[in-house]
Amino acid sequence: MIGLIKKDLLMLKGNCKVFIIMLLIYTGLGIYGQADLSFLIPFMSFLMMMTTFNYDAYNKWDAYVVTLPNGRKNSVKAKYLATLILILVASIIVTILSLIIAYSKNNTDYESLLLVILGCTFATVLLEVFMYPAIYKFGVEKARIGVLVIVFAIIFVEEFMRKYIDFYAISKVFDVFNDYIFLALPITMVLSLFISYSISASIYMKKEF
Amino acid sequence: MEIIISNSSGVPIYEQIKEQIKNKIISRELESGEMLPSIRSLAKDLRCSVITTKNAYEELVKEGYVVTIPAKGFYVAEINIDLAREEQLKKIENLLDTIVNIAKVNNISKDTISDMLDIFYEEDK
Amino acid sequence: MGDILEVKDLSKRYDDFELKNISFNLPKGMIMGLIGENGAGKTTTIKAILDIIKDYKGNIKIFGLSNRKDDKRIKEDIGVVLDDMFFPEILTPTDINSVMKDTFKNWDSDLYFKYLNDFSLPKSKQVKTFSRGMRKKLEIAVAISHHPKLLILDEPTSGLDPIARNEVIDIFQDFIQNEECSILISSHITTDLEHIADYITFINKGEILLSKTKDELLDNYGIVKCTEKEFKNFDNKDYIRYKKNKYDYEVLVENKKEFNKIYKVSTIDKVTLEDLMVLMIKGVE
Repeated sequence: MIGLIKKDLLMLKGNCKVFIIMLLIYTGLGIYGQADLSFLIPFMSFLMMMTTFNYDAYNKWDAYVVTLPNGRKNSVKAKYLATLILILVASIIVTILSLIIAYSKNNTDYESLLLVILGCTFATVLLEVFMYPAIYKFGVEKARIGVLVIVFAIIFVEEFMRKYIDFYAISKVFDVFNDYIFLALPITMVLSLFISYSISASIYMKKEF
Repeated sequence: MEIIISNSSGVPIYEQIKEQIKNKIISRELESGEMLPSIRSLAKDLRCSVITTKNAYEELVKEGYVVTIPAKGFYVAEINIDLAREEQLKKIENLLDTIVNIAKVNNISKDTISDMLDIFYEEDK
Repeated sequence: MGDILEVKDLSKRYDDFELKNISFNLPKGMIMGLIGENGAGKTTTIKAILDIIKDYKGNIKIFGLSNRKDDKRIKEDIGVVLDDMFFPEILTPTDINSVMKDTFKNWDSDLYFKYLNDFSLPKSKQVKTFSRGMRKKLEIAVAISHHPKLLILDEPTSGLDPIARNEVIDIFQDFIQNEECSILISSHITTDLEHIADYITFINKGEILLSKTKDELLDNYGIVKCTEKEFKNFDNKDYIRYKKNKYDYEVLVENKKEFNKIYKVSTIDKVTLEDLMVLMIKGVE
């Protein structure tokens, strides 16, 4: 399985240069102007992994990987782990650079800064959680369109509901959990990752290539 | 050792291999006790299948020209030259039989045939 | 001598195609050629053996083990070349080495790089810059660098020029110098198989037409070429297929010597695999 994780990471090594340049530009922008680096977390991990799915599909890698001694489940597991590794690395880099920017500007509100980054990190994990089973079921192209439809549907429904429901009042209810957020978030994430992986794996086990 | 295989002659390839090795044994080009190439390496070098060379060797063993030592390989057998010669004479006899048959059917005299034989022998020299 | 691969009653239904009761055995140390038209079911058979497709009926055993239950163990010892299915082409041969090192227990990097050298393939160029022939050679190098016991090759020589085909066939023959190793090779280029295959399995429209040793086929089968008048004399028990051409009849017979004893025909040729394929598919029973 380590081989498979390596394969996904090796596929992205060509993008390293682009990332370094982007990071430098945005750090510069952050120090000498205005820039928020947290968007780079999903960009450097999830979106990149989507391109590996594309290449896999193009070269019918799924049929080939089944002939290697990994087992189908590990092939799915490797994809999930490679993505998590990328999310982690991206989050660490973004955290360090954001701290440098904040320090250079004498901004000492580290807590809200870290909270934003943490939020982005978990949002990216959520993308993985929801998207991967869809990708394994429908293929990367269809899944991408499907998710767009769902996201717009949610926004539309939310806008529609906003007229009738006081969201602020509801959000107040959740304030109770604020104290536990650093505990509750990781547990939810791990749990949802596990469920997502199990669904993807069971889809992949039955698939024909 | 040279073996020449023709893919278009119509003679089965295992038979070509068998005959050529046999001739080399009878003509003493291959000495008794000499080790023959393995089935697999011969197949590779002649670019034919393993079953083909295996068949050839099995026939040679059956006819007593080759012996097999398990886990070691195939060796040229100690052959009785008289016996081998007898076999070759038999072959010539069969061919002559055909010649005579054709000659008789077509009213060709014995002298004509023997003249032809002389010419063939001369040519070889 | 045991069988390295046993396929028994393999069946698989698609909407527009059906694989029907495919059975054959591949003994140790042998090469089996799988021949047939495009779309005859060669690739489907290979995909079932490798468990790439699901929901098929029948029993498949490799090294005496079930191809489904002992999946991981079996695949340590199998090398595969599939038609158009491979590593994503943005990887380089060196990348592939570092992936495979952590995939196969027996992966032999030295051997792999030796093959790359022999085939004069660049080590650090992306696979997408390779020509079709180079890509096939790379796929073959990848398939044999973990010292497998069974090679399963789907059209491994398609797209190769005659020189490269020769090199590749040499490698296959080197591979079976070890009598524990076998090769299953599908091809529609029958001349490749005519030399090196020990067994021929002929699939047509999802069914096996014949599975025999190649020598049995090429040494015994024959094509009688004759006039209509001669043909009318033949008992249809005595031939397998016939084809009426503009100037003559071509008749496929199972044993040319036996046939000649009965009918004393003037022209009886030995068959090539290609003749056999054409007459079996296009000829009339």
